[in-house]
Amino acid sequence: MIRESQIMKIHYVTGIAALFVVAVHIIMRLIMPFNMSLNYTNVIANYHNIPYALLLESILILIAIHGFNGLRIILLELRQNTFWERGVTFFTLAAMISVIAYGTRTIILASGL
Amino acid sequence: MAVSEKKEEELKSIISINGNIDRNNREGLRGWLNPSRYGWERVSYWLQRLTGIFLLVYFIGHVYETSSLTGGLDAWNAMLQLTQTPWGHTFLLLVIGTSTFHSVNGIRLIFTEAGRGIGKPGRPDYPYKAVSLNYRQKSGIWVSLILAALAMLYGASVLFGGD
Repeated sequence: MIRESQIMKIHYVTGIAALFVVAVHIIMRLIMPFNMSLNYTNVIANYHNIPYALLLESILILIAIHGFNGLRIILLELRQNTFWERGVTFFTLAAMISVIAYGTRTIILASGL
Repeated sequence: MAVSEKKEEELKSIISINGNIDRNNREGLRGWLNPSRYGWERVSYWLQRLTGIFLLVYFIGHVYETSSLTGGLDAWNAMLQLTQTPWGHTFLLLVIGTSTFHSVNGIRLIFTEAGRGIGKPGRPDYPYKAVSLNYRQKSGIWVSLILAALAMLYGASVLFGGD
């Protein structure tokens, strides 16, 4: 079982790391006019670039961990008992894994791997 | 005597039936959202949580939105028609503002956790102003809000500035 203090460290590290990778993701949208950057061929070309696809996967994992752990923290602030804490942890873990799996599916299919 | 009886009653009221102390948030969401008693620190507290929830909802929506890529050009363009509208851009501006605030205020909170910029504890005298944060920490809240506004302005120039 991971201690709450260790989970908070993971929360901070994923938050800071997400800041950097999301910055690169936004810069990729701004190196050309915004509307043009959303052109289908442009976006598919982005996904076919393997380092960029790996960057998208890291964004997906980092934000999913940070976001769903944040939701867990908020829900645990509202109520504390064993049933609630276990339920919230199970629900947020399941949601996190589902979002990562769904996003990874998109990255794999769009990158043509 | 009367004071101690009152205290005893208060103590009894927070003991649940099975004898355990009730540690639940007794005021519920209303207490969580009420910023009036605690000053700017409380506003920062719930803004961090509200922006976090908003960004999590956006993140899930964004993952779903981009999955339309797998449906080919038509599916992607259909999704763009939904999102690349003035309302869609206004929503994106909100995302830019909330993500900037959440990031900068989050960095301030990491400093708080590390004990940086926290004032010395003081005696709680009337009018009970919170003394837990010193000016560096308090200015961090303002810096977060100002940077969020600046990011939204830049975002507006990109999203509504043509090209």
